[in-house]
Amino acid sequence: MKIGTLTPGETARRLKSRDGLAWRAGPFVVSLRADVPAFPEQFHLLYGEHRLAEEIGKTNDFRLELARPWGLRRWWRPKVFFEMDGPTRMAPFPLDHALPLFEWGFNYAIATRANQYLLLHAAVVAQGERALLLPGLPGSGKSTLCAALVLRGWRLLSDEFGLLRPGSGELAPLPGSIALKNASIAVIRAFDPAAVLGPEFPKTRKGTVAHLRPPPESVQDQERVARPVWVVSPRFEAGAAARLVPLPRDHGFLRLAHNAFNYELQGERGFRAVTRMTRECRFFDLTFGDPGEAVALLDEMAAS
Amino acid sequence: MTGAATLLVVLRQPERLALLSPPEQEFLLRLARRVGMLGPLHHGLERAGLLATLPAPIRDGLEGGRVVADSRERSILWEVDRLERAFFGTRLPVILLKGAAYAALGLPLARGRLMADIDILLPRADLPLAERELRKHGWLTATTDPYDQHYYREWMHELPPMRHCHRPTELDIHHAILPRTGRLQPDSALLLQEAIPLPGRPEVWTLAPVDMVLHAVVQLFHDSDFGANALRDLLDLDGLLRHYGPTPGFGDRLWARSRALHLTAPLHAALYFLQRFCQTPVPEHARPGWLMRGLITLAMLPDHPDPRRDGMPVRLARWCLYVRSHWLRMPPGLLLTHLTRKGLRRWRQHVWHRRGV
Repeated sequence: MKIGTLTPGETARRLKSRDGLAWRAGPFVVSLRADVPAFPEQFHLLYGEHRLAEEIGKTNDFRLELARPWGLRRWWRPKVFFEMDGPTRMAPFPLDHALPLFEWGFNYAIATRANQYLLLHAAVVAQGERALLLPGLPGSGKSTLCAALVLRGWRLLSDEFGLLRPGSGELAPLPGSIALKNASIAVIRAFDPAAVLGPEFPKTRKGTVAHLRPPPESVQDQERVARPVWVVSPRFEAGAAARLVPLPRDHGFLRLAHNAFNYELQGERGFRAVTRMTRECRFFDLTFGDPGEAVALLDEMAAS
Repeated sequence: MTGAATLLVVLRQPERLALLSPPEQEFLLRLARRVGMLGPLHHGLERAGLLATLPAPIRDGLEGGRVVADSRERSILWEVDRLERAFFGTRLPVILLKGAAYAALGLPLARGRLMADIDILLPRADLPLAERELRKHGWLTATTDPYDQHYYREWMHELPPMRHCHRPTELDIHHAILPRTGRLQPDSALLLQEAIPLPGRPEVWTLAPVDMVLHAVVQLFHDSDFGANALRDLLDLDGLLRHYGPTPGFGDRLWARSRALHLTAPLHAALYFLQRFCQTPVPEHARPGWLMRGLITLAMLPDHPDPRRDGMPVRLARWCLYVRSHWLRMPPGLLLTHLTRKGLRRWRQHVWHRRGV
């Protein structure tokens, strides 16, 4: 059963319950408790295609909670905290920013706990089982490009994490919403007027944020792993013509090693995983001003 | 059986985890994560060949914990190597304490043990030289606050923690195993005399096995934060006694040594709790008083993965033990001025610092 088959009211009721609402997010089973107004409707819209976890089992990888404090901050300028088996180091958000808090909190949970994976800081899309990694610093246009690609038929694996299993060298999909920031919200709305976005949250720590709903097919395909084939480092430059420049492999190795959140932590198995990717992937730099042009170039790259 | 009691059973016999229902497994995994014991569990289940039988979230959770523990062990052993280099050509030995020693010796209890920092022991007279050498090689003192500096240098058994400018691992340089202001003052010269070099590595030393045990005893009763690392300290002791205990004459040497270091009372208590919680084979010992028995039995085990949801009696017992450990650390007058000073500093920061005045 999908989250979308529940009514928004039932979603809210389950989020409030003692064990929370549990769903399958890529390789993980996540349970979330939240007693926060407006959040259930937003969550229901963006995560409607995800399967509820009751059919899967009774164990979770993550137990997350959006908790409201007791006392003054429950009522006056109310806040909401992200918790995972107790308090975390995430700073609280204003209550009406619960959705961005959940999205960032879940990323924080993965970055601190999921060390069974080599965690690449990259958006990942795929054609079938051939994956394209888009590593990039914040502001490089990684999420915008990722959104444009999945709106043009690429399969979404994740807009934030390349979850690489060091043993098998496979990437696990984790299709969730894509967080678009500031100007890229309008860019994506113009790029595809049919794109489904959640509400805009102004004045977060990264400016205005709106979340693009993941393509239903990508979510249905979330257990189908992919192999890394292309690594493209995007750089947005206003007005620039799209240009794809191949990189030598030794640069590729350093790009990947520096890009992973937990490369040092993985030790030898991290080194082996990156070596293998360096051998099996092709590396590029991509400069772009218009997402449509960039998508066309990458389609061409994938076809060649 | 409560979650905490099952946790102890599973830590002793990891294969028992595979027999529990998935929700119980998840609860235990979360408890084990709280006390930093995912690594040893993963090791145990791997040896038993049972990892594949576990549900994916349990197996993955254990693996994630193991990766972190292995990485910490690597950084600690690398730090040992760097210390050896920094002290090379001086008369300073590298004498490892606690986790770093267990790892360097390759003891079974070190497998997957989550280590935080590296501790070494030096004669007090050699501290200025050691600090000079370390600074020359890139280590820096982590705190510059004059009161903190004074606190460590005058009253504690260690220097203010140092850290190499390129690495995150904290280095604690001890000249004793208990504070200078404390009630008990085991003689460091005795510990240094009996230190043993690592096989094939004459520059790196550990304490003698009996002294390692006694240091772990002191750690448990005088330095533990019962909400966080007391269980780990107890399991360290369990591991040490299971490893060294069967050596002929070990028990006699342990008692003789505890008398020389004036640590018989805490040793009796530690042996009692080891037998009670871990079924460790231990020499004859006396039972501690009813109050300590009650407090430590309550405080030792976590009730819940979320520390805020431990029961009220548990938290109360921990608070009493916290007060006790401070009581043992300093004479009352000094303790009072120290706490006042710390409290005042916190209050000042809160009110004024935040306003940018």
